Amino acid sequence: MRGRIVASLAAALALAGAPATAQGPQVQKFAPEQLKTGAEIYERNCSPCHGARMLDPQGAADLRKFPRDERERFIDSVTRGKNQMPPWGGLLKPEEIEALWAYVVAGGKI
Amino acid sequence: AEFGIRGFIDGWDPDTGKQLWRRYTIPARGEKGNETWPQDNNAWEIGGGSAWITGSYDPELDLMYWGIGNPAPWASQRRPGDNLYTSSVLALRPKTGEIAWYYQFTPNDAYDYDACWELILAELKVQGKSRKVLMQLNRNGFLYVLDRASGELISAKAYEKVNWASQVDPKTGRPVETDIAKSIRDMKATEHWPSTRGAKNWQHAAFNPRTGLIYANTLHEGRMYKHLETKPFVVGQRYQFIENLPLPRVPGEPVGHIEAIDPLTAAKKWRVPLMDFQIWSAMLATGGGLLFTGKETGEFIALDADTGKQLWQFQTGSGINAMPVTFTQKGRQYVTVLSGIGGLYWNIAREQLKDKVPPGGSVWTFALMQD
Repeated sequence: MRGRIVASLAAALALAGAPATAQGPQVQKFAPEQLKTGAEIYERNCSPCHGARMLDPQGAADLRKFPRDERERFIDSVTRGKNQMPPWGGLLKPEEIEALWAYVVAGGKI
Repeated sequence: AEFGIRGFIDGWDPDTGKQLWRRYTIPARGEKGNETWPQDNNAWEIGGGSAWITGSYDPELDLMYWGIGNPAPWASQRRPGDNLYTSSVLALRPKTGEIAWYYQFTPNDAYDYDACWELILAELKVQGKSRKVLMQLNRNGFLYVLDRASGELISAKAYEKVNWASQVDPKTGRPVETDIAKSIRDMKATEHWPSTRGAKNWQHAAFNPRTGLIYANTLHEGRMYKHLETKPFVVGQRYQFIENLPLPRVPGEPVGHIEAIDPLTAAKKWRVPLMDFQIWSAMLATGGGLLFTGKETGEFIALDADTGKQLWQFQTGSGINAMPVTFTQKGRQYVTVLSGIGGLYWNIAREQLKDKVPPGGSVWTFALMQD
């Protein structure tokens, strides 16, 4: 029992100590289905302002630069709206907004 | 139209507030014009045709003219046919909303070529005869002159670079589409001129009846345009299905012009190239032979209408994308403009403008100093 606790503590400590962005972007794995959903929603609703495939943002936020560790802020802005962006919370389900987040983090590559 | 609506114009009694009529810009099943939409789906019900800029009125003819917006979705695969009355002008009877005549600028519009821009009413000498006309610098790159009593097309000449059509056929009044148009309709990424924003956007042009010329701030811009697979309509979600990306900037090529244009030939009396920023504020022409307009970098400028030479400027402190006006009070003439950066162009050029131009909100009125 003690051995197991020590082992899992050690594992937890090891994870906490792992350098997050020391050598480049953190690799986050998303399910292909989720990325596909995100890509479809993005293409239809977001691309007119944020740019096709996030290229050429045209004055809307450049999502290529959105901090990858600020998921809460992304979900909040999309759900409630921000500045000139209307709220999408009434139209998109929470899991769809999560899918958008996945797409953005993946850099528009699916 | 970007969300799949069916556009309309409403007529109201100003004395009582009673709604008198509603004229949908897309005819219903069974109505004349609906046959220009597919008969086996409901594309017509969500087909766009927003009437989003105020029309013009001729009190002698008792006709009002409204420019109608683009069809929906932008990608045209599922809505074959001319799609009346999108991207058209309607001449309506004010009391009933009935259509006296119509003219369609861009049949089966695949390019977001809204036809809502100002319809300038004038009297022009056409082959020696005086004609009552309406004129529009259409988004699609052609300058149209129509007889406003009958709707007859008098002239339609390109005023900017156009690659989706080679001309407007004077016999049929229809644009003759090119291989570029075919490439777009075949869903290939294509260099497209004018871009979906148009060879001129909302910034109103001016007409001086003494010189017979139109003065306008125009756009010189193409984009890489592609139709995507259309998906089913969903309330509240965008209904466009296109991709637009910038073209590499050619050094030395302007992004727009200030120009003086002959309405019947589209020949330019003069053109001032704009190399850094487009002008998205409107043009004002005065009886004294001046033009006033404003820049997104804050300068309110006056030009000699004869030559396009800038005679004067005043830095208003924030970007101008508004409409200058002139009025006389107690025998003195004033020119007024609003200054405050914003508008669509602010969204387009924000990266370049944000460190140059502060936000603001002010109104400026100028007059000549009395001797």
